[in-house]
Amino acid sequence: MATDTDTGRVEGFGEVSRVRGIAFEYLSLGASVFGIFALAVLLVYVTIDAFDLANASPEWLLTYFLTLVVPFLGFCLYSARDRALTRRAVTVAGGGLVAVAVVFTLVETFVGQIPRLNWQLAYLFAVGIPLTGYLTYMGARGQPGSVGFGLVGRLIGGTAVGLALTVLFLVFDPRLWFLAYTLGVVPATLAYGYGYVREVPTAMTAVIPIGIVGTLGAVLLRPIVDTYPTTVFVYLWTLAIPVAVAGALVVAARGGRTTALAAGGVPLAVATAVGLGGQLAGLAVGGPNALVVLAVAGVPTAVYLHRVFDVGEGVIGLGLPVLLAVGALAGALVVETFGIPAPNPWVSETFLTEAPSRTASEAGLYPAIVGSVIIIAMVAVLSFVLGVATSVFLEEYTADSGVVGALTRLLQINIANLAAIPSVVYGLLGLGLFANLLGFGFGTAVTVSLTLSLLILPITIISAQEAIRSVPDDLRRGSDAMGATRWQTTKNIVLPEAFPGILTGTILALGRAIGETAPLIMVGAATTVFSPPSSLFSKFSAMPMQIYAWANFPQAEFRYGVVAAGVITLLVILIGMNGTAILLRNRAERGS
Amino acid sequence: MTDSTESPDLQRRSGLTRLKEGTYGGFFAACAAITLLTTVAIIATLLSDAVMFFAEVPIREFLFSTSWSPNPRGGGQTFGIVALVIGTLTVTITAAFVALPVGTLTAIYLSEYATSNARSILKPLLEILAGIPTVVYGYFALVYVTPALKATLFPEMSTFNALSASLMVGIMTIPMVSSISEDAMSAVPDDLRQAGYGLGATKFEVSTGIVVPASISGIASSYILAVSRAIGETMIVVVAMGAQARMPTVGETVLGIPYINPADVLLESGMTITVAMVQIAGGDLTGGTIPYDAMFALGLTLFVVTFVMNVLSDIIAERYREEY
Amino acid sequence: MSNTPSSDTRSSESLITTDVETGSNDRITPSDRTAVAARDLNVYYGDEQAIDDVSIEIPEKRVTALIGPSGCGKSTFLRCINRMNDMIDVCRVDGDVEFGGKNVYDDDVDPVALRRKIGMVFQKPNPFPKSIRDNVAYGLKIQGFDGDVDARVEESLKSAALWDEVKDQLDSSGLDLSGGQQQRLCIARAIAADPEVVLMDEPTSALDPVAASKIEDLIDDLAEEYTVIIVTHNMQQAARISDRTAVFLTGGRLVEYDDTAKIFEDPEEQRVEDYITGKFG
Repeated sequence: MATDTDTGRVEGFGEVSRVRGIAFEYLSLGASVFGIFALAVLLVYVTIDAFDLANASPEWLLTYFLTLVVPFLGFCLYSARDRALTRRAVTVAGGGLVAVAVVFTLVETFVGQIPRLNWQLAYLFAVGIPLTGYLTYMGARGQPGSVGFGLVGRLIGGTAVGLALTVLFLVFDPRLWFLAYTLGVVPATLAYGYGYVREVPTAMTAVIPIGIVGTLGAVLLRPIVDTYPTTVFVYLWTLAIPVAVAGALVVAARGGRTTALAAGGVPLAVATAVGLGGQLAGLAVGGPNALVVLAVAGVPTAVYLHRVFDVGEGVIGLGLPVLLAVGALAGALVVETFGIPAPNPWVSETFLTEAPSRTASEAGLYPAIVGSVIIIAMVAVLSFVLGVATSVFLEEYTADSGVVGALTRLLQINIANLAAIPSVVYGLLGLGLFANLLGFGFGTAVTVSLTLSLLILPITIISAQEAIRSVPDDLRRGSDAMGATRWQTTKNIVLPEAFPGILTGTILALGRAIGETAPLIMVGAATTVFSPPSSLFSKFSAMPMQIYAWANFPQAEFRYGVVAAGVITLLVILIGMNGTAILLRNRAERGS
Repeated sequence: MTDSTESPDLQRRSGLTRLKEGTYGGFFAACAAITLLTTVAIIATLLSDAVMFFAEVPIREFLFSTSWSPNPRGGGQTFGIVALVIGTLTVTITAAFVALPVGTLTAIYLSEYATSNARSILKPLLEILAGIPTVVYGYFALVYVTPALKATLFPEMSTFNALSASLMVGIMTIPMVSSISEDAMSAVPDDLRQAGYGLGATKFEVSTGIVVPASISGIASSYILAVSRAIGETMIVVVAMGAQARMPTVGETVLGIPYINPADVLLESGMTITVAMVQIAGGDLTGGTIPYDAMFALGLTLFVVTFVMNVLSDIIAERYREEY
Repeated sequence: MSNTPSSDTRSSESLITTDVETGSNDRITPSDRTAVAARDLNVYYGDEQAIDDVSIEIPEKRVTALIGPSGCGKSTFLRCINRMNDMIDVCRVDGDVEFGGKNVYDDDVDPVALRRKIGMVFQKPNPFPKSIRDNVAYGLKIQGFDGDVDARVEESLKSAALWDEVKDQLDSSGLDLSGGQQQRLCIARAIAADPEVVLMDEPTSALDPVAASKIEDLIDDLAEEYTVIIVTHNMQQAARISDRTAVFLTGGRLVEYDDTAKIFEDPEEQRVEDYITGKFG
């Protein structure tokens, strides 16, 4: 070809316009963050309302920023041990301050006042919270940080579980539990322990029958026996001691006998002392509930402390709770001493511990929180058992072809369809079947729990199936080839491997149940109850029901105050549950 | 090792072991059967009361009458679903205007443009949108969105209105569209993309000209599911849209074709099928009355519509699964 | 009867070009009892025939190798012996497989009970995500063994030539071991339950040569106590470790079955010779 002439040379390939492409990329990016951004703005406003931040003085914000936030960020940066990160954090915090102030002033000058937002709050939400979140994440990757957060998490989580346990005894008879525990749970556990240590399989097989017989015996004996120990001793015997023993066993598996005794015994002794002493001295603190909370929060904390000291890394992180407590106290002290005007948050101790009221300042969420806790506990048990059993059946006990295969496909399609049925229709099922036909009553805990269990069952099943499916087939075949029966393979190989995934899925599904409102209205749950329920068949309310009721109140104090506080409480509980689920999943993924 | 000359014992094992195996298997099967029973129970519950309802109120009246007033003060109940259907359609269509384009663009961004890092942050954040309790969305619409819209765009808006509620329903359904559509787009084989790039197409042309058409059945299936979800959505509309079953005024100005002024439905309160059910449930739950039965008739309508849409979406989704 | 190490009988006339030692076929005597036998066995996957009319008698306490090109049905045959094919829905089995004189496909046979008497080792090492001890004790646990578990674990690990390497870390996870160790752990797991037959489905194909040769040595030792049936695609391996060799060719037909030395030095069938010398397959 004519390569020697100039005409044959390629001068360039020209350019294809990318403008449309780039515009499209940013458009789609904008779409991706649109919903998230809208929700974030709404959450900012509801937070401002719930904590009355619009009335927070700059001095107040500054005080807590200095006493609480700065030390915490310092802790995170110390834990991350990354100079570049520290530099970046300081730049963002400082530069963000300037940027927010400038943008905010410009908007206020040229566009108009932004309601209930000043530049301090804008800085807090646009820079402060994201930065804190990011640094917390980075800090948690360092040794002291992970130790510190682990400790704080156990303290908060243990307290929450302890409180939830005491709430459950509002509707469940502690005396029946005492009998069932003594006659059923203890002998069954002993049988299991004996079988495990001495390797006697028959003792292990007998565990379930022993438990059932003991529980039935308890139910029969409950009306006959009429002397019981006081509640404090019931809680001590049935809750605090087993938790302490379990903690001691965990430590004993790692370390010596003395430390094990200490890890179980010290929190138990403290809890007993406070629980009994408080009651004897007639103090406000103490009593049976304090006993349970201290034991349930204390034992895991002690076990964790033992582990941290055992490993010996990042021990300094254990100071985090102290740092936070001192910071909060110091802030309060400064605010008190200098008379700094403080906001008057709607989310307060009264709000969490009082009954609803027509006066906004006295309104509380307590009965609704109790209702939600009880419902969630029952839904958790029901949907976990049904969900795991169904998914095990679908994944392990069925075939792909033939009649069984057809039946399996039918079940599978049916479950997918159930997941898409509107929740209000489940409400009708609960109303027609549980409340009217079976007579469990309108809006009782039983009716509500059964309805919600069926509602989240398909979600639980689908996620449990995914978890079970992710167990490699190699392991199943290995177990089968050893001559394991189907149940043995399921119990020994499949379920232990799939368990973290199943647990995560169940907790996420429970998050759905805790926010459901429509089915509760349909089965006649009360919008407002003034005292916590006293039995499984008394009138119930739940947090979303109470929010729904309050949202209808015309007064601004309710609309912008009380409901906001209710929403924040609900969301915090939801985030706590989902966060736990995600932590569990991440941990399982790292472990395997 | 056994040295015995007898043949090994391969018999089925003792009664106890078999009983144990059978008990577990039976227990699992029984639990699985509960899911089937749930469906049966839903249909039976809905049908039994709906049948009683239609014995009192003719189906014709239910389907074509435009007035819904189950508990009037002065007597003369009417049960016409048309006004409720209009309310439901208003919410669904408006929500679809938000969720479908935003969800599709999100899916394209996640599947074609986002780095794996961005994806790992965006996807869980999007899931949060679907995880917020709907009553909270309703509260947001009522207390923040409506006043904001009133102050800026629509001064004549009423406190309870369809628009804010629909916007929130739309935002809530974004993740349904985006996650299912993204799955479909990610399932498009890379060969197709490579072929496009080989022909000198830009990323934009590959995304919109190859990936989207190739995954169209998955996208369609996600749309149907999102719309079905919007139809059944209850608490957002109950809290933010009010409870007034209204027929919009039909004007006949444009070339004699009847039309409805959108502002007339969007900025005013209205009532969806779900709201009507909640409203009756607020008053009367013991059964035996016509409004009680009407609730189940509405529930049946809702069940049938969402069921048909789910099956449709399944069938369409099945097609794209077969393609690759 | 002597269990001479395989190196004693070195073949000079091997058809394989590499220097290969064939198995110690002097162990075969007419008085050998049959451990596993198949009679007129046909296996179908749906419409496809995977095993075509196979009859074979596999002697007790010997290593029998099943070789052949991929897809020839050798693995399917192996899985018929402990009825692992039952797990596959579309699989249909005609004919008899006798184990200790009893047809395992008889109605009154429980496949689970059968598998407790026949151990199996898979191509890819598949230790359970449990401790080494629990892995080995797994078979004992599911059978409700009430003797000294720890002694059994030690004995099995010793038989699997793994004891010295893991005796100080019995409580660490089986997944922490190297590939070759994992496979020996799987062998220990299989023999801990005291089976009569050990089936091995290409047990070394996922391992490096050093680990593979350790397994081969181990197999040779195992034959003192167990009947070993091994599927392999590696002809040198079959020649080295087995006493008897069965050659399957495409279509699931058993073409030739004889003493290993005979198969590798002087096969009856031209096709087998072609396969062994690498002319096809």
